Amino acid sequence: MKAVITSIVVAIILALIFSLPALAQDSDAITITMTGVNDISISLDKTQWPLGEVATDTEHMTSPPIEWCTLTVEGNCNVNTFVVGEDAEWIGNPSAYKWTLSNDGTNGENVYGLQFRISGDTTRGYVPVAKTEGEFWPYGGGSSLAPGDTKQFGLKLLTPTYFVGGRQMQTQITISAVAA
Amino acid sequence: MIRLIKLAGLIAALLVILLPSFTLAQNVNFSVSPAEVHIDNLPPGEAAEFELTIHNKEKLAHNFTIAAFQPPEEERREGRAEFPDDSWISFPSQEIEVASNSEANVTVTVAIPREQQWAGGDWETWLGVAAESSDLLAVKLYVRLLVSTNPAAEARSNAGLVAGIVAGIVLLGCGGYYYFRHKTKLE
Repeated sequence: MKAVITSIVVAIILALIFSLPALAQDSDAITITMTGVNDISISLDKTQWPLGEVATDTEHMTSPPIEWCTLTVEGNCNVNTFVVGEDAEWIGNPSAYKWTLSNDGTNGENVYGLQFRISGDTTRGYVPVAKTEGEFWPYGGGSSLAPGDTKQFGLKLLTPTYFVGGRQMQTQITISAVAA
Repeated sequence: MIRLIKLAGLIAALLVILLPSFTLAQNVNFSVSPAEVHIDNLPPGEAAEFELTIHNKEKLAHNFTIAAFQPPEEERREGRAEFPDDSWISFPSQEIEVASNSEANVTVTVAIPREQQWAGGDWETWLGVAAESSDLLAVKLYVRLLVSTNPAAEARSNAGLVAGIVAGIVLLGCGGYYYFRHKTKLE
């Protein structure tokens, strides 16, 4: 009889040894951490650049060329910044006609180029704005931007070598930020 | 013939002269918090919720859009893989209007499918918040979302229980065998 009781007790202990850690794993709480309740924000002091009528194959620069717009890091966290462009669309009928944005700042028939230059960025000079996100401030070779930091920059646009005249075109450049 | 050439030249010149006006499409000052969210120990088959706050600092109400974005590998935190499927992240609406000088909360739900293949994952995706604008320059703010799932919790739990039960049956069998043998000997 003693053997039976001993066996049952040992069996229960062994079962508990095997299963409790696993059961404990199941009861792990899902944790959601909001890092420091950080606030992310950047601002631009200029967002419009009305060019009026433009000619083919012509370069247009903001004035002043590289200190036209100021980006300010607000919020309370360091940020990495990016820039991305898009095709320019005819306001009258966006799906009917567009200028394609080149990836290297060059132009072509119905293809236009966009570049930006940051004041103080002596290594890169003018940088093409492409349709895929690229670095705005070169944190890879420098650092991310801290709250209160400002960066002045300008734009350069190269119109297509050929386009259909008399159409109002519109495009957008998005400057984005993520916590560094 | 010369007239035709002159006419073609004139048309070409007009095309250059009658150029389109290139209006490059107001800055919306806003912030988003938190800037980074970590969800840990999320078991496959379960969901977690958190709130994003959009603060419209302007004197006008604005519409904001929210969407998941897969960051390039070099921008992800170390050891983080691409989030498998953006459809696992949902919002009540991808567009929200925020009144002037106000804040609005957006509930974000992250639901991981039940399949065991999603256990033990360490992923990263970004949630992009942008103000609707037709200006040339626009701002988008990304929130880093880092999700970690339980490492095969269900499988280990089952293995432990099965091993415990098997051990118990074996020991009960042995105990029973020795008990009956002992009883038989006594008889």
